[in-house]
Amino acid sequence: MQRHNFCGRTRREFLWQAGAGFSGLALAGLLEDSFFQRQDTAADGVSPWRNPLAAKAPHYTPRAKAVIFLYMYGGPSQIDTFDYKPSMYGMDNKTIDVKTFGRAGHKNQGRIVEPRWQFKQYGECGKWVSDLFPHVGQCVDDICFVHSMTADSPIHGSAMMQMNSGRIVSGSPSLGSWVNYGLGSVNENMPGYVVMLHYTGGPINGPRNWSSGFMPASYQGVVVRSAGSPILDLQRPAETPDGAQRRLLDALRDYNQAHEALRPGNPDLAARIASYELAYKMQSTAPEVLDLRQETEETQRLYGLDDPQCAYFGRQCLMARRMVERGVRFVQIYSGGAHNDDNWDAHGDLVLNHTKHAGETDKPIAGLLRDLKQRGMLEDTLVVWGGEFGRQPTAEYAEGTGRDHNAYGFTMWLAGGGVRGGTSYGSTDELGAHAVENRLHVRRIHATILHLMGLDPNRLTFFFGGLDQKLVGPEGALPVLDLLA
Amino acid sequence: MKQTVHVTRGARRQLRVNFWRTALGFLLTVICQASIILVVRADDPPTMTEAEANNFFTTRIEPILKNKCWECHGDDPANLGGGLALTSRADIAHGGDSGPAVDERQTDASILLRAINYDLYEMPPDGKLSKKAIADLTTWVKLGMPWPAENEKVIHAAERAGHAAVDWDAARRWWSFQPVAEVSVPEVNETTWPINEIDRFVLAGLEQRGLAPAPPASRETLIRRAYYDLIGLPPLPEQVSRFVDDPDPRAYEHLIDQLLDSPHYGEKWGRHWLDVVRYAESNSFERDGTKPFVWRYRDYVIRSFNEDKPYDQFLIEQLAGDELPEVTAETLIATGYYRLGQWDDEPADALQAKFDELDDIVATTSQAMMGLTVNCARCHDHKIDPISQQDYYALLAYFSNIRRFGVRDEASVRDASLVSWSQEAGTSVSWRQRRRELRDIEQRIAEIEELVKADFAPVEHEEFQYEFHRVPLIQKRSGTVISEEMADEYRQLVEDRQRLRNTQLTEQMTILCVKEAGPFAEPMHVRIRGNPHVLGAEVTPRWPSIFGGKELPVVQPAHGASTGRRLALAQWLTQPDHPLTSRVMVNRIWQHHFGRGLVRSANDFGLHGDVPTHPELLDWLATRFVQEGWRLKAMHRLMMLSQTYRMSSQWHEEYGRVDPNNNALWRFHLRRLSAEELRDSMLFVNGTLNLSKQFGPSVFVNLPQEVLQGQSRPGDGWGQSTPADAARRSIYIHVKRSLRVPLLEVFDGADTDTTCPVRFVTTLPTQALSLLNSEFSQEQARQFADLAAQRVPDDRGQRVAWILARVTQRQPTAAEIERGQTLLAGWIEHDGLAEQDAWQQFCLLALNLNEFIYLD
Repeated sequence: MQRHNFCGRTRREFLWQAGAGFSGLALAGLLEDSFFQRQDTAADGVSPWRNPLAAKAPHYTPRAKAVIFLYMYGGPSQIDTFDYKPSMYGMDNKTIDVKTFGRAGHKNQGRIVEPRWQFKQYGECGKWVSDLFPHVGQCVDDICFVHSMTADSPIHGSAMMQMNSGRIVSGSPSLGSWVNYGLGSVNENMPGYVVMLHYTGGPINGPRNWSSGFMPASYQGVVVRSAGSPILDLQRPAETPDGAQRRLLDALRDYNQAHEALRPGNPDLAARIASYELAYKMQSTAPEVLDLRQETEETQRLYGLDDPQCAYFGRQCLMARRMVERGVRFVQIYSGGAHNDDNWDAHGDLVLNHTKHAGETDKPIAGLLRDLKQRGMLEDTLVVWGGEFGRQPTAEYAEGTGRDHNAYGFTMWLAGGGVRGGTSYGSTDELGAHAVENRLHVRRIHATILHLMGLDPNRLTFFFGGLDQKLVGPEGALPVLDLLA
Repeated sequence: MKQTVHVTRGARRQLRVNFWRTALGFLLTVICQASIILVVRADDPPTMTEAEANNFFTTRIEPILKNKCWECHGDDPANLGGGLALTSRADIAHGGDSGPAVDERQTDASILLRAINYDLYEMPPDGKLSKKAIADLTTWVKLGMPWPAENEKVIHAAERAGHAAVDWDAARRWWSFQPVAEVSVPEVNETTWPINEIDRFVLAGLEQRGLAPAPPASRETLIRRAYYDLIGLPPLPEQVSRFVDDPDPRAYEHLIDQLLDSPHYGEKWGRHWLDVVRYAESNSFERDGTKPFVWRYRDYVIRSFNEDKPYDQFLIEQLAGDELPEVTAETLIATGYYRLGQWDDEPADALQAKFDELDDIVATTSQAMMGLTVNCARCHDHKIDPISQQDYYALLAYFSNIRRFGVRDEASVRDASLVSWSQEAGTSVSWRQRRRELRDIEQRIAEIEELVKADFAPVEHEEFQYEFHRVPLIQKRSGTVISEEMADEYRQLVEDRQRLRNTQLTEQMTILCVKEAGPFAEPMHVRIRGNPHVLGAEVTPRWPSIFGGKELPVVQPAHGASTGRRLALAQWLTQPDHPLTSRVMVNRIWQHHFGRGLVRSANDFGLHGDVPTHPELLDWLATRFVQEGWRLKAMHRLMMLSQTYRMSSQWHEEYGRVDPNNNALWRFHLRRLSAEELRDSMLFVNGTLNLSKQFGPSVFVNLPQEVLQGQSRPGDGWGQSTPADAARRSIYIHVKRSLRVPLLEVFDGADTDTTCPVRFVTTLPTQALSLLNSEFSQEQARQFADLAAQRVPDDRGQRVAWILARVTQRQPTAAEIERGQTLLAGWIEHDGLAEQDAWQQFCLLALNLNEFIYLD
């Protein structure tokens, strides 16, 4: 009978399975795309190298070559940052009817905590931005604000999974994995997908946030640190001189080549030989990429490296630019880590919390945008800002200014990479509690990001568990064309 | 003339259809109807003349539909959101996947009106309609949706593309839904090559394509292959040479038997099962809490494989060990199967979480045990396989009475998933008695061992460290150092000890297991589009209708704590003539011996999966498997004793062109060690692997600080084990969903969230970095160098040879030894390394050799 083959899919799962334990040569014969077939020459100039992360052609001409996702972990409050609600001033402590849903459950009424910062207009577009972000404020003409975001869960665990992987349960590949899978890396000496964490630790769910889920581990995010050995196991042990390691690698290649010579028809052996040369090259390339001493003092100041409050995030932003410059596709930087006030999760003292986290990030973010722009990189680098959800307009407790989580409406913004700067899209109600106009589910932002990277969100599939899996789910999602320049 | 009518639903629909269809065509002749007021609810009667109604539609309603709805519900008939068109009354009445969009009996409950009010669905998704628009649409629906006929665009359901139903007749003929065929073993031309039936099936296929099998693998290759395939560890070089020199024609057979008897067999094969049931020991989500006592399930799996438990029994115990006539600690532990998945202790939507968890069970059970992706029918009928959405919920209904893992806190987990088990209550033999028995046996074993130890050569002392090597060491001295009777007694004692060890010896224990909500289950309904809040038709548990759907006799177990549904499912799945169960499992066994299954898509035997390369062989094996009492060890023997298994992996230019994928099996295939095999082997060759301790709570290996730093609470949920525990086999390492051991992860260990039928095999520079630079590798190299210095204290060349033999299990060539010596000299003389550091480098090199990591 006729074999079904819907959606004209590439049956990657089948191919992987067919390849399990079997030679890549057999695989290459089966494949029509260049994914496995690409033959390169490794660092020693001899060994053939097949890199599963080799660069691949996108579906259509991309607007952006790379994404830098500034992840405001914990959920920043929209009405205290970029979603200006002038009518709320003077309403402090008034009880009001409003439907909210956060970690404290569903409520129909709450005590207003009026925005704790003043807003000013910036740029030609006249965007209102709170005093938390005086530096970012000066970049608003390059930024496209989305005020009408919604997510399915107001609970960190599941909301983090959704913002990063599209689903509220773990097991699916993260956004960066999809990009890595769809496009590969143009620099084989660097990972294609990099994650940088806060000094207090990772976010909850830890590495599940940058997992490749049901895809091979090669597509997962690689954690890059701004101090010490930047990548796990990248540096040879201090007690091993470079010459000794080179001598080891040369001898290893000799042994392995003699072994391979007796075993023709097994290209995996050659690939593994070549992978050692590439590893050796990565050892020297990656630290160079991440060496900020090569940047001028002016650039370092631009990112706030001279300011202890924001130097940590500043270094990460500057490293992100250097990586993107060298072909890394997807960089995610976490603002905030660990728990409670170590991130944007302002349940207690809103002022204390947001002052700290905005203070750590405002100057570096503005520095990144300006630096990208002055180097002509902003036009094809997409910068994304946002957390897993926003915060409520009302207080969580009877006392104090803490706000609970809010997935009914929150703000994210995009800049560069083909988005329309100086604009705002969608809106929340007068309290900033619910998205009302042009509501956008997280899926739509994912679809938009993929679209800007030249990938069709509804055609970028990975066959697994009987389904053509997509980042945007089985129903699919369209990019938001109104956000594009 | 005005008229108020109350009509039945059917009559009203008829009336309305007649009215609106005819009104415009025969406007003048149906004057009496022209001013009918349709009253839907007597207390809320909107009134409007027909002209007013038409005007209302064109000025107020049509613009809303056009601007806000038709983009997804009408503009492109081939691509309707939710299958719903809002372009005609007929289409609205027909509805989409969620059923009719307007409920004429109760318009307020209409999906259309609920959706625009953001109740149930949120439509339009990009923002609620204005209050006025919502009011207008509500009025319009209550008016009976007046719609001038010329403005209607009927998109009949049958014309909808993208919703083509599965061709059931064709699907019924699909090979995997056919009964397992009685096949006869084919005739072959070359009659000297085949040893058993497998060979004749394979050879017949080769001959048909003009191919010939590769020459036999060398004995060195074969013993290494057999060791790794059955116990996941290499042989010692001395065992290799003994096997190579063994004149006994049945030496290979004895080797297989010895390995199958090894207690480490279950540690290797149990891991394959843990892959398909996505075994993990934590819950995922924010807290990623540890699942209490989940390791008992892992031990149960290892023990079941070691005991050669019949596979049908193995499935029954996992699916319904609590519903059996005789429930034992073992069968109850088996139901920990249901507790391995993710659990959200703080779900935003509790019902959604419950159905996600049930889906996880349906997906795992159907793929792991049936080789079917029933999970694809959660939101709509399966697009490829003959599995309807009803089938999905009917299968889910077997599990729907299971209590969630917990509600929120630890107490709730205790309540829903743990029992305190008293051994006395479960079995007739008291644990004390067995413990005494075990102690006596161990004492006698030690006595006999003491008698022969004095006779050991130095290498035999090393072999002796591993229990599974001891029997041959004792047997070798049968009739010399010890009497034949004593040698036989020893063998018997070891068997008895293993049997006792395979039994739980704890008086009281807490068991992680399944629990149901009671003897009666709530009714189960189809969930429209997979939305747990939208109920469709009621379903009762039954197996998918492609298998001949009928209700199963569900018998409540006597204890009255559960429905008995799962036992009914397990009994159906394990019927000897079930077309999938035996095929799926023999295919897995084949896969792990030959590198891939006869059906490559091991979890998908459906129409999207791959057809078997050797369908008759698959059926013959499946039949044999059931005949042999569903016993795996019989299948291992059968497969491993075949010539097909004993082929070399030698390449053949011409065959490589004719059959590049080796579908016909003209050669054996090289394979890389699995992540666990790699780690275990590194520890094995340097003499630090702790093989003597089996079972029990999981252990923690040291993780680098930068890995722990990825957690929100660095180090949270990751303990510290003693060095002896940290050196245990990889299967005993704690499996934490949010924190994976880097070496196991980078070498393609199984993902923890979804069933893993076949592991990826990637080759990446990060693997090289890990094996060269990680603290773990450095430490293993150091230990290796220390052992080498102990064993071969003097001669540099001999030490090089010893190290290489240790990782490759063969004697190195003179050139290889020479190369090693030159290398050492270079490190010491040119790079200024101290002697012992140079040896550590050489050991590191040995652990990175392709020959160490790939099996011929």
